[in-house]
Amino acid sequence: MFWVRIDNRLVHGQVIESWLPFTDARYMVVANDELAQDELRQQIMSIAIPLGIDFSFVKVAEVQTYLDSRRLMERDVLVLFASCPDARRAFEAGLDFRKLNLGNLHYGPGKRQVCQHIALSKEDETCLDFLRGKGVNLDYRCIPSDPVDLPG
Amino acid sequence: MNDQTEARKSVGVIIVTHTDYGDKLLKAAEMILGPQQDVRCVSVNVGVDTAETVKQLDADIRALDSGGGVIIVTDMFGGTPTNLSLSLMGQRLVEVVTGVNLPMLIKILSTRTKALSQLAADAKTAGVQGIVVAGEILRKKVAGE
Repeated sequence: MFWVRIDNRLVHGQVIESWLPFTDARYMVVANDELAQDELRQQIMSIAIPLGIDFSFVKVAEVQTYLDSRRLMERDVLVLFASCPDARRAFEAGLDFRKLNLGNLHYGPGKRQVCQHIALSKEDETCLDFLRGKGVNLDYRCIPSDPVDLPG
Repeated sequence: MNDQTEARKSVGVIIVTHTDYGDKLLKAAEMILGPQQDVRCVSVNVGVDTAETVKQLDADIRALDSGGGVIIVTDMFGGTPTNLSLSLMGQRLVEVVTGVNLPMLIKILSTRTKALSQLAADAKTAGVQGIVVAGEILRKKVAGE
């Protein structure tokens, strides 16, 4: 399964214990510009990644190039973004995903709470509208057993 | 995952702890895994007759055992919750694992269709692996480079 998720916290308990088994992923790509340049934070985050899962930290604009270089697209890959603008940027840079899982997007000033675990800024909504317009299906699940669609 | 669930009966889970640590631990695990079934939490409190608690545990074991047995996790070896749980071993298909933490509980809840003894062994490994002194690992990585 090729699975793309937005989650403010990137690698954390729900991703490791629920999404990795659910997607059968063997490769995890953390796409984040700051992390891609911060070796210490990479090492700390990688302690939590289970043995047997191959992982990499790459810049947002370079996800597709990375997948191509390792021929990973058709294999079991989980790609993580920290924000909606990052997901949009990767899409525009050539990452071809048809489905986008929205996990934890925390509340902040000026954001609209759309369900318990997702709050969206104007910019987030613009990015999601853009992706929807390109035929990307949105999947609003914090964990796999949650409902896929927004309530109401 | 689903194939496994159908193939073998799921092991029942009882969390026995000092006060309501078990309830909170289960809540934390459910935040990560989603709602869980066939799990009971027993809290051992000062002022409650231990014989009553053992009776409760025995009833819970009977209610939860659907053929695959029951795994009891307790908070601390040597503590009353553990001692009471151990007193029930040998009577039914029960395995007791002490020192429960979140990684251990998650491992149990997400792989409950394994054979009871294997589940208990894997729970122990997960519990121990979940304990990390980050500085030690980072220093080792730096030294290894």
